[in-house]
Amino acid sequence: MKKLITGVAIVFGLIFPSTYTIAAPPDDTFIVGLPTDTIGLEPAQISSRHTANIMKHIFGQLYSVSETGSIDPNLAESYKISDDGKEYTFTLKEGLTCHDGEALTAEDAAYSFNRVADTDLAFTGNSAGFVYKSIDFKEARADSEREVTIVLGGPNHIALGLIAEVYVHCKDSYEKMSKDEAASNPIGSGPYEFVKWDKGSQIVLKKAANPPIPTNFENVIWRVIPEASTRTAELIAGNVDMITNASPDQVEAIDASSTAKVAKVQGTRRMYVGFHQGPEFAVTPGGAAIQKPEVRRALQYAVNVPAICENLLNAPCTRMTGIVNPNNAHPNLEPYPYDPEISEYLLDQAGYPRDANGVRFEITLQAGEGRYLNDKNVVLAICQYLDDVGVKTNCEILDWSAVYIPLIKEKKAGPMYFIGSGGATWSPLYDMADLSAPDSGPNYTKWMNEEWFKGWKVINNTNDEYVIRREIDRMLEVFYNEGPWLHLYFQPDFYGVSNRVSWNPRRDEKVDLFGATLK
Amino acid sequence: MFFYILRRIPQTALVIFGVTLVTFIALQIGGDPTYLFVSERASPEEIEETRKMLGFDKPLHIQYLIYLSNLIQLDFGDSLYYRQPALTVILETLPATIELTIFSMLIAIFGSIPFGILAAIYRGKWIDGSLMAVAMLGQSIPSFWLGIMCILYISLNVSWLPISGHVPFLMLIFQGEFIQAFKNLPTTITYLILPSFAVAFYSVSRNARLIRSSMLEVLSQDYVRTARSKGLSEYIVIMKHAMRNAWLPVVTIIGLEFGFVISGVVVVEVIFAWPGLGRTVFDAISNRDIPLVQAAVVVISLFVIVINLITDLVYAKLDPRIKL
Repeated sequence: MKKLITGVAIVFGLIFPSTYTIAAPPDDTFIVGLPTDTIGLEPAQISSRHTANIMKHIFGQLYSVSETGSIDPNLAESYKISDDGKEYTFTLKEGLTCHDGEALTAEDAAYSFNRVADTDLAFTGNSAGFVYKSIDFKEARADSEREVTIVLGGPNHIALGLIAEVYVHCKDSYEKMSKDEAASNPIGSGPYEFVKWDKGSQIVLKKAANPPIPTNFENVIWRVIPEASTRTAELIAGNVDMITNASPDQVEAIDASSTAKVAKVQGTRRMYVGFHQGPEFAVTPGGAAIQKPEVRRALQYAVNVPAICENLLNAPCTRMTGIVNPNNAHPNLEPYPYDPEISEYLLDQAGYPRDANGVRFEITLQAGEGRYLNDKNVVLAICQYLDDVGVKTNCEILDWSAVYIPLIKEKKAGPMYFIGSGGATWSPLYDMADLSAPDSGPNYTKWMNEEWFKGWKVINNTNDEYVIRREIDRMLEVFYNEGPWLHLYFQPDFYGVSNRVSWNPRRDEKVDLFGATLK
Repeated sequence: MFFYILRRIPQTALVIFGVTLVTFIALQIGGDPTYLFVSERASPEEIEETRKMLGFDKPLHIQYLIYLSNLIQLDFGDSLYYRQPALTVILETLPATIELTIFSMLIAIFGSIPFGILAAIYRGKWIDGSLMAVAMLGQSIPSFWLGIMCILYISLNVSWLPISGHVPFLMLIFQGEFIQAFKNLPTTITYLILPSFAVAFYSVSRNARLIRSSMLEVLSQDYVRTARSKGLSEYIVIMKHAMRNAWLPVVTIIGLEFGFVISGVVVVEVIFAWPGLGRTVFDAISNRDIPLVQAAVVVISLFVIVINLITDLVYAKLDPRIKL
């Protein structure tokens, strides 16, 4: 028996080192901790924010959206728009190369755009789905060595910002690669060159020989660490320089450490409760009530949004005044204050007094669980606030992917539903495009307001900036007074940042490491 | 033995058919997966086009039959998310899970044997009581909590072991990079210890209890008494005479446990950022990546079937009375 115990002790002694020395990242390397792995590395197939954040370091775009919302030159140095607004001609910078050394010309840029639309390759996701449909992409053509023209189906005021979401690469390398190779072996044109992808573990990049924009770190590693508390532990231990999606309940632990701090930023994702306006819900008492703009307006006063932010999201936030992010919002509209008395008064006035049980009407609020920050508790709080003003609210918390998303996309969620919609800092029209037409995909409320939708006709028929802005503000007033959303907040984002680096988060959930420096 | 293995082949095919059918139905119950493959602002036309591209517009039975006919030709289809052959994705993540499974099983087996034997030898003494109390605790503590506690106290506070991550060994062996693989081995083991411990703690506890009761039964047998009366040392009596019979129920449990561990390490893989098959399948289920889930189910099923076959063969080897 003694021999057995001694043997076991020796084996354990051999494998257990006395102390495991954790090495901090080298000075020339920036390590990011991500909650999920990239969904492939195919530049034409992007359907998650994390994947897009990695890809923008490997691939250049013609223009790119800065953190302040300006649209700046990237691979292109200038652009011009044809008189009919249907053709955007970009002039590429001189001396561009792809990471395999091939010169990047207008022919390559045109190929990159046309490849996304290639039906044989059957791409889905952001570029092939949303961007190309939005700009009604027709074709891309090379006009000269450095001039590439993107042809649209019609004029579009946000085309430049949308074109900035398409990644550019060289033709020869991608023509040679099979579909499988292209999905795992990106040959880019951006500031960082792909080194390796250990699936589920890490993506390693190194600075390109000829980066099109300046960048500081020689190497960037994207480590996949799914569990929030493990990401936090890695950050505090100094093994990663920045983590995305830091959990709000771990903010104190990170801030209390001597190695890292939390950077909170008010994001661009607009969180709201939708009031479904379709006839299918109008037959229910609650569904009928929210058809009235007076009732919708009354409910804006019923929910204490700042308290939700402070207590459930662990961050102060600005309440939305409508559909557009603050830097592009109507300058004179103020967020609805929390005032249950006004809410009750307006509901009385709208013809919905409390009955003997104190109930004005019953309604269902549906929500998915696990997609947004503390979403379940936020929804339960909203239901309670509505209950408090006499609107008996049945909260239905559903599985996000299997149940809720199909309901939302088929416009069958309701009569009230909770959701977030990604927004942007670079154009109010991008935010407003959720409701670009009565039958547009994201018009989940089936809102048909004529005053709103006729605004699009005005905007689409002019290039006069003053007229466009005036019309936008008019539409935002309509939305404020009669809109189909109960305005909530712009979802805050939490990043953990190591004290050894200097890096600032952006509002639009995009991660740029180009300006990051060692302290 | 050869004919026994041959007889198992039709059973295996039936099992594979059954699990693919059940998985297919289970995934389809969740509704149309198309919505997870379109952009946030997708129009109805884009949704319809995507549905056609992904093949979800066909009737369910046609989708399943197409899948089965491809499977017979060993074509598992392409992962909808990774846009690579599903089998390639599985084979890239499988080695990490095998490393974790084998190391966990080693801890489960070699951790439980001394504890079980000690508890049996010192039955009713404080050693027995303490070990069984720890075993009870091991069966009660959830692996995700144990994993997080290990990270906090062993990795973060005293820095004995890495917090999370993986250094490949088996993958390099499969790729023929033997020198690099063996260079990695010490580091691979340091990364393996905590997740394996979190996975194996439950098994160590259960197996220790099982070995204890099995040993107690065997130690009271006449042939053990005879061995002792012949003047054999206690070590020989226990390890050579008693242990062989005490092993039989343990081998059965270990065989079953292999399947349980290989498919049940998901939570631990998530906590320790272990890039294994469990996490890949978990993500694939969330993403409704049906070809990937199906491929994983087939591969895991084959593993379990093979392990059970090996268990049966070992069982027959340990007990000559058992005929295959």
